[in-house]
Amino acid sequence: MEKRFFWLRSGRVITGLSIIALLVICALFAPWLAPNDPTEQDILNTLVPPVWQTGGDWTFPLGTDGLGRCVLSRIIYGSRIALTVAVFGALGAMILGSVLAHIAGYFGGWVDWVIGRVVEIWLSFPPVILSLILMVGLGAGLQNVILAIIVVDWTRFCRVLRSDVMVVARRDYVAAARLLGFSHWRTVTREILPATLPLLITLMSLEMGVAVVVEAILSFVGMSVGAEVPAWGQMIADARADIYQAPWTLILPILAIFVTVFGFNILGDGLRRTLDTRLTQTERA
Amino acid sequence: MSGPVMKLLLRRLLTLIPTLILVSLLLFCILRMLPVDPAAMSLPPNATNAEIEAMRIEMGLDKPLIQQYGIWFGNIIHGDFGASIHYRTAVSKLVLDTLPATIELALAAMVFATLFGVLGGLWLFYTRGGVVESVLDLGTVALLSIPEFLWGLFFMLLFGVSLDLLPFIGRLGAGVDRPETITGFLLIDSLLAGSPLTFLDAIRHMILPSVALGLSAAPPIMRILRSTLMDVYQEDYIHQARQRGISEGRILIFHALKNAFLPTLSLMGVQFGFLFGGTLLVEIIYSYPGMGNLMVDAIRNADLPIIQTVGLTYCVMVLLISMVVDVLYLVLNPKLREA
Repeated sequence: MEKRFFWLRSGRVITGLSIIALLVICALFAPWLAPNDPTEQDILNTLVPPVWQTGGDWTFPLGTDGLGRCVLSRIIYGSRIALTVAVFGALGAMILGSVLAHIAGYFGGWVDWVIGRVVEIWLSFPPVILSLILMVGLGAGLQNVILAIIVVDWTRFCRVLRSDVMVVARRDYVAAARLLGFSHWRTVTREILPATLPLLITLMSLEMGVAVVVEAILSFVGMSVGAEVPAWGQMIADARADIYQAPWTLILPILAIFVTVFGFNILGDGLRRTLDTRLTQTERA
Repeated sequence: MSGPVMKLLLRRLLTLIPTLILVSLLLFCILRMLPVDPAAMSLPPNATNAEIEAMRIEMGLDKPLIQQYGIWFGNIIHGDFGASIHYRTAVSKLVLDTLPATIELALAAMVFATLFGVLGGLWLFYTRGGVVESVLDLGTVALLSIPEFLWGLFFMLLFGVSLDLLPFIGRLGAGVDRPETITGFLLIDSLLAGSPLTFLDAIRHMILPSVALGLSAAPPIMRILRSTLMDVYQEDYIHQARQRGISEGRILIFHALKNAFLPTLSLMGVQFGFLFGGTLLVEIIYSYPGMGNLMVDAIRNADLPIIQTVGLTYCVMVLLISMVVDVLYLVLNPKLREA
């Protein structure tokens, strides 16, 4: 295998990428993959069990919910919401958090102090509470969910990356770059960023999993995209009413969330092991 | 208590004040973006525009934002958190009625998180280098992927609905005597009232929500304990203890664990802060009458005074947790104590 793709040798990375690929395929080709319209209510066929149970019907492979909507189609369409928040929420939090981390770690002094205090204020909010309050202020909707994820989770990047930047910024080659007359911008982007990039990519992967969970939580309490859009958290909230008659309507979206988050986490874990140059060969295996 | 501990406590209490001011300012500003008009919300739907305008002035909504914040914060200092728009009662009463339930749940969850975290960390460390370790390690990644609300729903399905082993609605069963509210902590109140049956029922109701919450907070604790134990085992005093013929078990518990516990403790402070926020979700799943349900109901009713106060209370609890952990850290760490 080519040297630059050495990280593909990790089983964890492969597993994570496979799960994410499956998610992407579901999201992109939802109209072709889903057997039914995810929002169509079939009042004559409510709470149909999955095919492997008696009374199951291949029209609804994973059964229907309390309003007669196809569970499989709703799970497939739900991946669109999950993937959207994972990509844009994590990307936004990463950009905001890592820019501030690089500024704080590189310049130090009062800039670092101010950013540190802001992070501290943010950390006194439990993430669930802060995102709920933000949704109250912003109002429901996909864009606002993404905005809430960015505003709440940038500290995850900022806290961890800042100390990494500080270590790198004190290395000799960074001082050499400055002595050669590199601007601050060039020093940070050409000399420091390549060294902090592995950690940044790892955190990004983990944050995508977090974003999926946050969206599910907000849907679950009815503060996300609205009841008419198929989302996994919304499915869980709807299924609670039929917990005795139709436990599968609750179990299936739980599994969908778990598998997706596991995919992002195992990818992050694999990347950490393969990209982190400080780990020894044995720890990486 | 010794001098340095008191000094730290005093310093933390002093920094608590500016932190609280900034936290409440942030909270206030976010909630002022709310698209609904609090004045119109607090009047019956057939109120005239003149009445709404009069209400706006009465509530101080015509003043600049910073002045509104000043009025709110000034009232808080005097113990006046305003009245609920929906329930028409003092917010402070509603919060004080629900806070003990949430604290009780969070404390039980912290006990489980510590238990699972420390036992899991020791297990991970004990099996290091073997095949079992790589399986367990994958297991921790899987555990990290299950947030508290998924555990909560899963336990409710498995132990509540399917196996019918444990109750999963509220704090007490239907036929159980409710003790007189003295502290608000059901476990304490039922003991004070001398009713062991109520006490046991309350414990049964707490098991599923607190285990769900504890399990979600445990995996990071396991991982940091394992990795600090790895570091500690490189130290000379472990080799010396071995040469003195001390058994491996004794070395692990009395020599290594004691020293590996400090980094674990500071992580636990962060985890417990997250855990306290997680009570909200578990409370909703188990219809547990705590602050989380109060908050979500208030959000549905756009009941601003409750949302503000409950939000602030969550922050105060997180700050208190981190303060307690800091003090514990100092008490347990002789190096810092002497400095």
